[in-house]
Amino acid sequence: MITNGMVSMNDYVVQVKGNIVSDMGGEKVMLSIQNGKYYNLGEMGGIIWDLVEVPISIGQLITTLMTEYDVEQSECQRQVVSFLGHLLEEGLVHLGADVHRE
Amino acid sequence: MKKEWQKPELEVLDV
Repeated sequence: MITNGMVSMNDYVVQVKGNIVSDMGGEKVMLSIQNGKYYNLGEMGGIIWDLVEVPISIGQLITTLMTEYDVEQSECQRQVVSFLGHLLEEGLVHLGADVHRE
Repeated sequence: MKKEWQKPELEVLDV
């Protein structure tokens, strides 16, 4: 699992392309073509998923979410980084300083 | 007015 100390707010994150995504009752459900697993990203996870369709820095992602949602920065940062870590473990996103140059 | 925050979670479905 990645934590705040392991990523920089300047690191970029972007979706791994080619997954099949569907909205079900406000929640986002996804089938990974790579590993054949189904995922439920939930409502907030689906919003984050849409935001990382194009490369975005983690700092910008958190700023965008804090603009729209009533959440403290520390809580938002901790929970978003943890969520991105799970996406990374499942091979659903690319994350790193060089992602936006690809 | 800002929307209510929910913790984002990734659930791996048993399929």
